[in-house]
Amino acid sequence: MSTAIAMPTSRLWAAYFSEIRFEFLKALRTPGFAVPTLFFPIMFYLLFGVLLGSMRGNLQMSQYTLATYGVFGAMGPGLFGFGVSLAIDREQGLLRLHQAMPQPAGAALLARAVMAMLFVAIISILLLIAAVFVAKVPVTVFQAAQLFSINVLGALTFCAIGLFVGSWVSGQASPAIVNLIFLPMAFLAGLWWPLQFMPQFLQDIAPAWPAYHLAQMALGVVGAESSGGVLGHVAVLVSFTLGFFLLAVRRMHGGGFRLLGAHPKRTVAIASGAAAAVLALSLSGVLGDGPAKAGDAPPAEAAATGTGTPDSSAPVGVPAPADPVIANFDQGSAQAAYGMGMVALGDERQGGSSTAAQRLVAGGAGGTAGALEVTGDLKPGAQYPFAGTYFFPEGQPMEGLMDYSGRKTLSFHARGDGRRYTFMVFTGTTMGIPLMYNFQAGPEWRKYELNLADFSAHDFKRVRGMAFGAMGMDGPFQFQIDDLRIE
Amino acid sequence: MSTHALASLNGIRKRFGGIAALDGFDLAVKRGELLALLGPNGAGKSTAISILLGLHAPDAGSAQLFGHAPQEIAGRRRIGVMMQEVALPGVLRPRELIAQAAAYYPTPYDVDAVIARLQLREVANRPYGKLSGGQKRQVQFALAICGRPELLFLDEPTVGMDVQAREALWKVIRELLHESCSIVLTTHYLEEAEALADRVAVMARGRLVTTGTVEEIRAHVSRKQVSFSSTLSAEFMRGWPEVMTLENERGRMQITTRSAEALLIKLFREDPALADIEVRRAGLAEAFNELTTQVASEKEEARP
Repeated sequence: MSTAIAMPTSRLWAAYFSEIRFEFLKALRTPGFAVPTLFFPIMFYLLFGVLLGSMRGNLQMSQYTLATYGVFGAMGPGLFGFGVSLAIDREQGLLRLHQAMPQPAGAALLARAVMAMLFVAIISILLLIAAVFVAKVPVTVFQAAQLFSINVLGALTFCAIGLFVGSWVSGQASPAIVNLIFLPMAFLAGLWWPLQFMPQFLQDIAPAWPAYHLAQMALGVVGAESSGGVLGHVAVLVSFTLGFFLLAVRRMHGGGFRLLGAHPKRTVAIASGAAAAVLALSLSGVLGDGPAKAGDAPPAEAAATGTGTPDSSAPVGVPAPADPVIANFDQGSAQAAYGMGMVALGDERQGGSSTAAQRLVAGGAGGTAGALEVTGDLKPGAQYPFAGTYFFPEGQPMEGLMDYSGRKTLSFHARGDGRRYTFMVFTGTTMGIPLMYNFQAGPEWRKYELNLADFSAHDFKRVRGMAFGAMGMDGPFQFQIDDLRIE
Repeated sequence: MSTHALASLNGIRKRFGGIAALDGFDLAVKRGELLALLGPNGAGKSTAISILLGLHAPDAGSAQLFGHAPQEIAGRRRIGVMMQEVALPGVLRPRELIAQAAAYYPTPYDVDAVIARLQLREVANRPYGKLSGGQKRQVQFALAICGRPELLFLDEPTVGMDVQAREALWKVIRELLHESCSIVLTTHYLEEAEALADRVAVMARGRLVTTGTVEEIRAHVSRKQVSFSSTLSAEFMRGWPEVMTLENERGRMQITTRSAEALLIKLFREDPALADIEVRRAGLAEAFNELTTQVASEKEEARP
């Protein structure tokens, strides 16, 4: 017998690469797959997250939906790529043919998984572009990278679920079954509609859905309300992924399909290694929004105490004075009760040309002596044009930290030219998305109250500053504030 | 014998549900031969092939492909496969499908050379889903040979092809044999086996009935066909013990018999004016039918 010509390693890699390339081409050329998976998330985001959000003057909505539609986008390619197309290839004999031919071990799975991740990468980039340039959501490069990796790696969980479906159902039934999993899970995991607005029992069962855990991680990154620690979410997702994957592979193996080649145990070992690597990454903080701590894990506790954000290892701020008043402008000055401020600032330092000025005026809210009037001119130039007045509670502006934990509400009064203004609270030790709260400043004084429990993603143990100002508009503006207090 | 065989099955038993698809089956494929595997539907042909390809594991017996278990990829890197009823992705183009398959092999042919060899140039860049049935089979054949295989499995390769396409494919098959590629062919077209096969293996009921050259298989069969023109009535001849079957086509009689000589003597005696005599040995089709029905009836008799 003649001796076999060995397969050079370079050709083996090339075979895997070509398999990925053709799987990707196949997916792109199948409109029934490519159009819904690629364009529905961005379309929904622009419609519901951006358009509806800006109509209501609600930047938080654009922020929330950036996270949740990203997760929605991460679900489709894996679920349909495996659930539908694998079921069809299994039924129509292609899987058998490739298995009889020397298709490299695991290539059928790898190619589909990489295809799904590439699709999710495209979806995530489209969403981030829309968020930054259309909705003007302030996203740092680091946050963008975190959202991107959460979505792309999260896609693997849905690949495993899709594989499980594809190993059971017929090609004809598969689209219906996949949609029955996809759409209800997206809704129940709070991807379309925040969970807080859903009936309690739906909130209670939400942790049963893998998409929920991915969404909580993504929401944590954009600084929206989220619960649970990163490590806990990653652990649940990895278990879901491995569980469905192993069940599906076993099922397919029984049907004569060696999805993992002639030595499945070796491949499972490699997959487990990869899963361990994901866990390690999440522990080191690359995957979450900071190093996860064991103490983060119980979701209820984290939400209740408002310490959902990591960085809990960093030093907390200086204890806040017992007096709830921060500034009431009744002593004839614009000075706050402590710290530095109020200070009027434009965005020149951020490369813009917006300006702001402030003066003390008589006639505060509720008949008090004085109030602070802020005027200015908002102009394009900075990435996120903003001008207004700032308060820094402790030490150097934006560097000193104050601990407001235990306080329940943050309130202020405002009136103005009828336009929408934004109140921000900067928290945490790293520069993330601040808490943003929009208010309409009408001709009459009105009190605005923030229930701090609603903003548990923000770290009130470490408050660096607060600001009132104008953003998302053009030209001159004018508004007055009074009686800023936290109690 | 298996040392000379590129691929072999030894004493294979395989049951699906309660039914024995293979019941102690042996087969060996030698270098450079075209082995036609024949048998009626349900004889176990596709089970035998799928065990050789590593798609099923046998319940008992052993299978090898180039000295490896068929599940191991090393042996399968030296084979090419064309199966029945496989739908390739309709959105990919023949050139892409061939390139994808060629990437599985260590030393494949150049993609353009394969396209040229199978006269697929005109359709090479058209979506596979838009091709005719015959063109699709040609693309599947291209996938089977693109890896420069030493052993080629062809399952009903010419189904759905027109006469020209079939002739062209036969030509390539003969060239491959000339290049000392071995081929295992399963086909329903007995003339295809007759035209191409060096050796025929006849299967029935999960067992190998016989194996040999086309000539040897024919010789197994003692039946002959005698046709002639005669004034004798068909009813008269039907009673003769030598006559197995008799057909009367507008005065021309056709008789199947196991003893042509005795029949001819009798005919001349009864009808001295007997004319246009033709004696033909059974074709592969008749041989095949006789062999497989024999096995079937033996089995029936063997039942308690």
